[in-house]
Amino acid sequence: MTKPSLMPSNTSLTWLMLGLSLAAVPHFSYQPLWVGLLFLLMITWRGLAIWQHWPLPGSQHRTLSFVQWFIAAGAGLLMLNSYGNLIGRDAGTALLIVMVGLKVVEIRNHRDYYISCFLGYFLIVTNFLYSQSIPTAVLMFIVIILMTSCLISLNDIKQIMSKRDQLKLASKMLLQAIPLMLLLFVLFPRIAGPLWGLPQDAHTAQTGISNSMSLGKISELIQSDAVAFRVKFDQTIPSGHGLYWRGPVLWNTDGTTWRELTLPSRHEQASPVISTTGKQSTYTVTLEPHNEHWLFALDLPTVLPTTLATSIAFGGELLSQNPIKQRIQYQLSSNTGFLMNPTSDPYLNEALALPDGFHPRTRALAEQWRQKSDAPEDIIAMALNHFNQQAFFYTLTPPPLNGDTIDGFLFESGQGFCEHYAASFTVLMRAVGIPTRIVTGYQGGEVNPVDGYMVIRQRDAHAWTEVWLSGRGWVRIDPTAAVSPDRIDLGMSDIMPNAMRAPLFLAQSDQLTDLWQQLRNNWDAVNNAWNRSILAYGPELQKSFLSKLGMTNPDWQKMAITLFAAFSVILLLTSAALLYPRREPDRVVATYQKFCQRFAKLGLIPRYAHEGPLDFANRMTKIYPNYQSDIDHITAQYISLRYDKSQSSLDDFKQTVKRFKPK
Amino acid sequence: MNAISQLYRRFNTLRGRRVFILPTRFGVLYGIFLLLILLAAINYSNSLGHILCFLLASMGQLAIHYTYRNMAKIELLSVHSEPCFMGQAIPFYCRFDNPNRHDCYHLDIASKQSTERSWNPFKNLTGFRYQTHQALTSLIAQQSTTHRITLPSLRRGQQTIGQIRLSTRFPVGLFDTWTYFTPDCVALVYPRPIGQLPLPSASGDGETHHGEQQKGVDDFSGFQAYRDGDPVHAIAWKAMARDDILRTKQFSSSVSDQLLLSWQATASLLDTEARLSQLCRWVLDSEEQGLEYGLMLPNLTIDIGRGDAHKQRCLTALALYD
Repeated sequence: MTKPSLMPSNTSLTWLMLGLSLAAVPHFSYQPLWVGLLFLLMITWRGLAIWQHWPLPGSQHRTLSFVQWFIAAGAGLLMLNSYGNLIGRDAGTALLIVMVGLKVVEIRNHRDYYISCFLGYFLIVTNFLYSQSIPTAVLMFIVIILMTSCLISLNDIKQIMSKRDQLKLASKMLLQAIPLMLLLFVLFPRIAGPLWGLPQDAHTAQTGISNSMSLGKISELIQSDAVAFRVKFDQTIPSGHGLYWRGPVLWNTDGTTWRELTLPSRHEQASPVISTTGKQSTYTVTLEPHNEHWLFALDLPTVLPTTLATSIAFGGELLSQNPIKQRIQYQLSSNTGFLMNPTSDPYLNEALALPDGFHPRTRALAEQWRQKSDAPEDIIAMALNHFNQQAFFYTLTPPPLNGDTIDGFLFESGQGFCEHYAASFTVLMRAVGIPTRIVTGYQGGEVNPVDGYMVIRQRDAHAWTEVWLSGRGWVRIDPTAAVSPDRIDLGMSDIMPNAMRAPLFLAQSDQLTDLWQQLRNNWDAVNNAWNRSILAYGPELQKSFLSKLGMTNPDWQKMAITLFAAFSVILLLTSAALLYPRREPDRVVATYQKFCQRFAKLGLIPRYAHEGPLDFANRMTKIYPNYQSDIDHITAQYISLRYDKSQSSLDDFKQTVKRFKPK
Repeated sequence: MNAISQLYRRFNTLRGRRVFILPTRFGVLYGIFLLLILLAAINYSNSLGHILCFLLASMGQLAIHYTYRNMAKIELLSVHSEPCFMGQAIPFYCRFDNPNRHDCYHLDIASKQSTERSWNPFKNLTGFRYQTHQALTSLIAQQSTTHRITLPSLRRGQQTIGQIRLSTRFPVGLFDTWTYFTPDCVALVYPRPIGQLPLPSASGDGETHHGEQQKGVDDFSGFQAYRDGDPVHAIAWKAMARDDILRTKQFSSSVSDQLLLSWQATASLLDTEARLSQLCRWVLDSEEQGLEYGLMLPNLTIDIGRGDAHKQRCLTALALYD
């Protein structure tokens, strides 16, 4: 038995430190600086102990033990200071990283080494809580191989295998483990998490549209390339004019910030009355998690998703019952032609409210227009004309606005993007008594030619307005289109400068930018497939996948039984392969034996165990003199194949034996 | 029923030696960690977490096969030992054969030290009573190699090697697989060569023979037909050249340095073992001083002689005396 008190070899320790560092490094960007520094400090200490023979804490260096305890206590205090607890995702990871660092310093025997390896495996799963992208997965697979090779190197006490062999063996084990892993992945009954209340920080740092808008907010999103959601249309894709993806509807304003309408209770909400015209399109949305309730749908959804508890709110937005914490898929249908609440709307007053004392110049402008005409349609046309004719520019980098932002935008800077136009248009309309609300969401989207999915990125975030006209209900007016029709017709990516579509060094040339775009399309298609088939594989997808494979009404019992059966088969096959090793058949001998069997069929005694080929040939020639030449020929061929190094052809030999049929 | 038992017997021979495998405590710890990873994956609905857990579980399952493979089919071809004196370590030479197509690494050879059983069944399982004697670094594929292990001698006489436990944890240390061999090998343990009594010839206690002619190496006394075991240098080659008959030249030597080491000479020692030890000491001393000696035990007598073979005979007689 291995003596557990043995100190692991320096090589083993070095590789362990490398593996642990690889697993810990991705965390440094999320964690406070001191966590990473402490980890590196501990690794360096151990490294110096290996290469420079620095002392380590232990029975020989009591003071160093105290130093280590002091560091541990200090880390604990810092952690409580940073996180307030040690349970959440961020705090737990920080704790784990610090623990691994401290453990590395005090590895004294095999037991410590094993524990460090296992902690390394656990570090990998904490990485996945932050990112499940393909690069992370690849990096972590490398870490698994490294960790396993560490286990091998620990057990290879005399180091008879080279590190390369150890890594090779570890990789081999990993590859051989994949079939069973896939089986478990597909069939292991999935439980919808969470098992217990998730800590508050489980889903943070997600970008996306928020339920409030203050001028300058969406511009952060426009800088972001992150995917908001992907759409697969069943039939043709509606043209650019219709691609408004409805998100939260904003009603209330305090003069600078716009917010959703807050109603006393959800039960009192009146669903909108909707009548649809035009073509219905059915599509599937894969939504990235944003930790909010709203789901994005093409304006306006008519057939709601069946796989999700959803409802249409009074503003026409599609809401999920639970916040979206994971990537989800839902199928629904929309009609781009619709009438919403054409006769009346219970919240019209909310769509008319403006805070007192704000936007005096804007109100004055609107008043001027009203004096020209009372018809809302005319006033709307005048407003759009105003944006179109006057010096308004569409820019993603507007100058900062001070004081009254609406007045400042309309009368001074004149530079802005969708939210500026939507907000000021809304103020103008409300000032003359036309009910108006702001709709936020996304507009446009690029179809990835590689897999046919439409990708809607954060930079496609958009804000437009809806005015309520008697008899026509809520009508979409997009004031941005009046200023920059390209933004609506072509989509965001086409009006963006190269510098925002590709890295700077590629942006010099259009070709390179296009090439970059193509590469990105391919990469995005791969990511999409990864997301849809692997990351989204949860209880629902598992059920639908297993149904497709032929399991009727999959439930956990059926899955467990199938899993057990398949596992047994795999185990049986592996054991069989181990117990019955494949004997490499010597085809020369096999062919010769066939030849000997020919005689046995004639009722003669086959070749004795002690009989050499020549003796056998002699015996047979005596019995069958007329076959002498054949027998001699075959025997000679066999002997030369078997005992000579001559290049006699095995195929020839086989042919001769095949032709030889004594009677 | 008969067919089934036949089938079972056939299966057993195919399966070969019974090989046991259980997780080590680190294997159990590994399982606990996997469970923690699974819990984290479920709680955060993390798909890659699931994959990691399943991959590691699958690798753990593979580790069973790898560990088993590292020892399966290894056979103990033969064991032979060399005699030793009580108190010395007995060397056993174990010839292990690796018929596999792959090398086997890091096998531990252990043997049972005490026969007492523990109340804790797990201690019996995990080789608690076995003490490692040697760790084999590697057994090369399709080769057999001899390894020397030493066991402490427990008592004079015959000592078997007992049960040998071959175990391995290679490659990942999560599983411990082992098997038992019970080779049929008996080592001879001579008495401990101690004793204060002087050699009988000096003290006069032993029976010394005078005047009798003893066969020896000094003076030529005639021919004798060759018998197995006669020294090669004593063969009469010239005589053989004449008539093709093997003869051995016989010599006689003077008897002044001949002594008979007898059981009675150690009568002053009461303990049987002490007497045997004393006799053993005398045998060694006589051999060293080039004397001719015989041994007389209550149940057998060995004629006067000398040389290695003679010494072995005497020592064997002492070892087996009871």
